[in-house]
Amino acid sequence: MTPEEPKSPVAKVHVCLYIAGASPNSVAALANLRIALAPFSDQFVAVQIIDVLVDPQRGLRDGILITPMLVRTEPLPERRILGNLSDRVTLLSALGLAESPS
Amino acid sequence: MERGAVPASPPKRMPTGIGGLDDIIDGGLPRGGVTVVLGGAGAGKTIFGLQVLASGARHGEPGILVAFEERAASIVANASGLEWGPEMVRGKGVFVLDAQLSQSVEKSGEFDLVGLLAMVAAKAEQVNAKRVVFDGIDVLLGYLGDPSLVRREVFRLRDWVHDSGLSGIITAKADATDARAASDYDFLQFMADCVVTMHHRVASGTALRFLRVPKYRGAAHSTNEYPIAITSAGVEVGANTTIALEHPASGERISSGVERLDAMLSGGYHRGSSVLITGVPGTAKTSLAAIFAEAACLRGERTIYVSFDEAPDQIIRNVSSIGIQFAPLIATGTLSVHSYRGRAESPEAQVARIRALLRENQPRNLVVDPLSALAQRGREGDGEGAALQVLDLAKNAGITLVATSLLGNLLPLAEETRMNISTAADTWIHVSYVSHGGERNRALTIIKARGTGHSNQVRELVLTNEGVALADVYAAGGEVLMGTLRWEKENEARRMRSAAENSAALRERKAEVAIAETKARVEALMRDQSIQEAELEHIRAAVAVDTGHLDTEADELLQRRRADPLVTATSPDSEDEGGVKP
Repeated sequence: MTPEEPKSPVAKVHVCLYIAGASPNSVAALANLRIALAPFSDQFVAVQIIDVLVDPQRGLRDGILITPMLVRTEPLPERRILGNLSDRVTLLSALGLAESPS
Repeated sequence: MERGAVPASPPKRMPTGIGGLDDIIDGGLPRGGVTVVLGGAGAGKTIFGLQVLASGARHGEPGILVAFEERAASIVANASGLEWGPEMVRGKGVFVLDAQLSQSVEKSGEFDLVGLLAMVAAKAEQVNAKRVVFDGIDVLLGYLGDPSLVRREVFRLRDWVHDSGLSGIITAKADATDARAASDYDFLQFMADCVVTMHHRVASGTALRFLRVPKYRGAAHSTNEYPIAITSAGVEVGANTTIALEHPASGERISSGVERLDAMLSGGYHRGSSVLITGVPGTAKTSLAAIFAEAACLRGERTIYVSFDEAPDQIIRNVSSIGIQFAPLIATGTLSVHSYRGRAESPEAQVARIRALLRENQPRNLVVDPLSALAQRGREGDGEGAALQVLDLAKNAGITLVATSLLGNLLPLAEETRMNISTAADTWIHVSYVSHGGERNRALTIIKARGTGHSNQVRELVLTNEGVALADVYAAGGEVLMGTLRWEKENEARRMRSAAENSAALRERKAEVAIAETKARVEALMRDQSIQEAELEHIRAAVAVDTGHLDTEADELLQRRRADPLVTATSPDSEDEGGVKP
């Protein structure tokens, strides 16, 4: 790694947000994620939303039982962020998107 | 051990499958309700939950365990070490959902259980679950942080359980002895339909486990603290204070193995009763227990011999020295000998082992040697409770129990025992050493024998290489004589008896001789008499001859004198006198 490392991540970040329908924390998580990722283009970040009320088997299969939960599936290692994502600093740091791209 | 598999009718119960628990909570946990299980780390909460699920699965009630603290894989792995674990895993009746939040999970803002409950509901519908365990909810609640959020989610959980129709168990790590931690979870207890607390403490290096049911809505239940054991059978609750004593009494007598002891007990031990043999080390307690086992086996009755002192080989060798042969009895399967190290486990774990043995072997007789091993560790009272449980176990199963108990060395000759089991036991035999005349001998006393007329006399217990026997003792000058002194006394008595016999014979002989002499004298006298009589005859005869002769002479004289014929005889006295006078 060099100090000249580009500010945007080289690898595309894939995240998966597990929510439970329109429960307040799920609605908040969705909104907070959208706001946090707004500066990043789809080129860098891919977002998938899974509603466990609609598809509970998916949550069971993926082993995600607590919602809202954001999972960074790529790049590895997997990272998990629990909660309504109101703490944007923690969120971006966990996703490896610590600094906003210019 | 399954108890009360059929739920009671009006207040719906969910049998737990936990040995002894359903008895103290009126048949089971609240069906359709929420039970909170609180306990410190390692108190057995997870096993409690798994056991309830495994029992449900066996009775057509599949269950789900939601694991917050441990990974599902490690729970399954741990469960496979339990007797019902592999079946539970294979049987597809218990499903473990991994809800563990690993250390790497970061928290950003609030969350709730809406999604979790939706997924559990989906799974429950899929597998037709009737029971659900939320294991280690404290871990999840720890992530929530804010006490008000904790309450909100706990109430959400409770309401969901009530609405779902499932019976729920929520376990949480909260040490009941830690007042602060316990108060943090006060609301858990408040909202629950039933609360079970589990804790363990360490006494003298041994972990002792306890269970309590401080709350059970709408149910008569005991709130006492019960000792529990966690073994390969899972959690077992020792109901040492049995609420109802319902042991069928038996009038049948079985031999103690010692003929004279049977006689002292008016025919032997009662079938299904408990016999306690107490005494200091070396007083032949084991011998008495072993000879009972042998006699039972020879009657063809399956017998289990549990030793906390010696290995089976040692026991077999030792009892053979007094003529008791265990080896052939073991070979035929009537006898099984088991050895457990008294110090290795808590009393509860040892009771659980005995319980398992009885369950597996269904014996008619049980020997525990010594029962006091159960009290070696831990608080006084725990061991006693364990010992009482063994008594109860045997009683309830109609098994005749012969248990030995070592008395404390502090009071080697005192007829008392640390354990109150002497009160609970039906028959109490005490063997003590009596030191006298440079010897120590064994004195056997029957201190009590319920429902039996029994001898109150002390007997000497004599061990020979042919077995165990009882001998009379001599009471002389207020002292009981045994051993060599008894032997001497017996010899002396024999000598005195024979001396007495001799002198009697002598007197008899003397009398006989006297009679014989008397007879001889009588005969001699009779001979004298007959001689004298003969003599008398002779004299009389001689007199008669003389008289006749005189008459003749007189006639001749008269003739010669040409005297008148004998007129004088008829003439007057003068003529007669003149005629007779020469």
